[in-house]
Amino acid sequence: MGGKKRTRVYFLMIIPAFIGFVVLYIAPTAMSFMYSLTNWSVYNPEIRFVGLQNFQKIFTDAKTVAALKHSVKYAFMITIVQNVLAIILAVLLNRKSRVVNFVKSLTFLPAVLSIMVVGYLFQYIMTSADGGLLNMIITFFGGKPVNWLGDEKIALYSVLITQVWQWTGWSMVIYVANLKSIDGALYEAADIDGANGIQKFLRVTLPLLYPAVSFNVLMSLIGGMKMFDAVFVMTKGGPGYATETIMTTLIREGFNSGRTAYACAFAVIFFIVVFIFSQTLTYFFNKWEEAIQS
Amino acid sequence: MSIKKVLGKTGYGVFLACVFLIMIIPIYYLLVTTFKSPAEAAASPLGLPVRFTFDNYSKAIAAMNYLQSFRNNLIIAAASVVLLLVFSSMSAYVIARSKQKVFKIMSGVFMVGLIIPFQISIIPLYKMLAAVHIMNTHFAVILVDVFCINLPLSIFLIRGFINTVPVELEEAAFIDGSGTFQCYWRIIFPLLKPILATVAILDTLTIWNDFMTPLLLLQSSEKQVLLQQVYRNVGPFSTDWTSFFPMLVMATLPLVIFYLIMQKQIIEGVVAGAVKG
Repeated sequence: MGGKKRTRVYFLMIIPAFIGFVVLYIAPTAMSFMYSLTNWSVYNPEIRFVGLQNFQKIFTDAKTVAALKHSVKYAFMITIVQNVLAIILAVLLNRKSRVVNFVKSLTFLPAVLSIMVVGYLFQYIMTSADGGLLNMIITFFGGKPVNWLGDEKIALYSVLITQVWQWTGWSMVIYVANLKSIDGALYEAADIDGANGIQKFLRVTLPLLYPAVSFNVLMSLIGGMKMFDAVFVMTKGGPGYATETIMTTLIREGFNSGRTAYACAFAVIFFIVVFIFSQTLTYFFNKWEEAIQS
Repeated sequence: MSIKKVLGKTGYGVFLACVFLIMIIPIYYLLVTTFKSPAEAAASPLGLPVRFTFDNYSKAIAAMNYLQSFRNNLIIAAASVVLLLVFSSMSAYVIARSKQKVFKIMSGVFMVGLIIPFQISIIPLYKMLAAVHIMNTHFAVILVDVFCINLPLSIFLIRGFINTVPVELEEAAFIDGSGTFQCYWRIIFPLLKPILATVAILDTLTIWNDFMTPLLLLQSSEKQVLLQQVYRNVGPFSTDWTSFFPMLVMATLPLVIFYLIMQKQIIEGVVAGAVKG
C-alpha cells in the first residue's frame, strides 16, 4: 500500500483541521509572545518594541504578583485535597451494592453542572447576610457565623471548597475504574503475608493507582491554574484582591483595561509556569513508573 | 458477628450517610428554594415548601428569554460536536495510519494543545476574530469551541481507538479497489461508534458549560447562551433568590437530564478519556 495518491488523500483529510488549529490556536499563542514585547494598549496608537518592560512591570505590581501566587497556591491545594479525597472515596465506594452505587452517581453529579451555576449556588449558601444556609447550620450547632467570602484570609479557601465539592466525583470515577483493573490475586497474596488494610493500601493499591494518579494530578493542577468562572461569579477577585487569579487578571487587563501587551506578557508567564509544572510532574511520574516496574 | 464487624458496618453506614448529606444538601436546597415565596425561604431554608408555587419558574423563564437562549446553546453545541467528530476522526485516521514524516509533525502540533491552555492565546484570538468581523456571532464561538478547546483531546482519543483496529480490513478493501477515503468512510468510521459517542459526550459537557468564551464573544442579548442569561440577571435579582434559583436550575436542567439518561455512558466516557489520555 501507499503511493502518492494515498498521501494526497491523507493530506486533504487532515488539512482542514490542521489549518483551523494553526490559525486559531498556534498563531494567537505565538502572537501573545510577540505582543508581550511591545507597548500595545488601547491608549497607544503606535506600537513599539519595548523589550522586557512589561515583565518588569508585572513583577513590580503587587496586585498581579498576588494573582500569580493565588493561582499557584490554589492549584496545589485543590490538587492535593481533591485527589486525597477522591482516592479515599474510590477505595471505600468500590463495592457492588445499590446504595453505594447511588452515592457514587450522586457524588459525580455536580461535575455535569456548570462551574458558574455551582459558584452562584454556593455564593448564596455561604453568604454572611441573613439567611445564609451554611452559617445557619453552624449557629444551629452552637458555632459562630463565618464571613466565608468576605474575609480576605479565607475567601480563596471558600471558593476552593466549592470546587472540591464539584470535582471530587469526577476524579473518583477515574480512580474507581483504575481500582477495578487491579488483580485481586495481589490482595490474596498480601493477605497470606499477613498485611493489614492500611499496609495493603500502601503496598498494593497506591503503586498500582499510578495511571489514574498521574492523569488526575496533572488535570487538577492545570485546571486549578486556569481557574476563572468560580472566582469570577463568587468574589469578583475580592475582597480587595484576595482572590484575584491569573485568569481574572488576564481578562481584566486585556479586555477591561485595554492593556493588551501587558496582559499578553502575563499570558506568557502563565505559559511558562504551566510548562514548568507539567514537565516537572511528568518527570517525576516517569521516575515513579520506572520504580514500580523495576 | 463479632463486635469489630458490627462497629465496622456502623462506621461504614455513617460514612455513606455523611457523603450523601454533603452532596445532597446543596442540591436539595437549590431545588426546594425554587418553589417557595421569599418570606418562606428566609424563615425555613431547608423545610419543604408549604404551598408549591411555580411563579418563580415562569418569572425565570421570561427573564432568561429561555427558548431563544436554549436554542442558541443547542446550535452552538450541535454544530461544534458535528464538526469535531468529522475533523477529529479524519485527522486521527491519518495520524494513526500514515507513515510519512509530515503527518507525524502535524500530530505533534495538535498534541501541543493537550498541555498548553488555550487561554494563553485569548487576547490575540479575540482581536483576530474582531478583525474578520465575526464578533458577536455563533460562528465565532463554534470556531473557538472546536479548534481551541476540544480538537486536540478528541483527536487523541480517536487515534488511540483506531490504533486498536487491525489494518488488514482496510488492506483487503484497498486490494478490492476502494480508495483511501472510502476505506475510512465505509470501514473505519462505522467501527468508531463507541469512541465517537465518548468524544461527543465529553465535548458536549465542555461546550455547554463553557462560560468564558460566550461571555467574551457574544454581546447582543438575543445571541447569548443560558449561562450568560443567568449572569445578566444576577444583578437585578440579587436580593430575590427565590426568582434567581430557578434560573440556575433551568440553565443546567438540560445537562442534568442528559446525565440521568446517559449516566453510564458519561462515566465511561470520562474514564476512557483518562485512561487513553
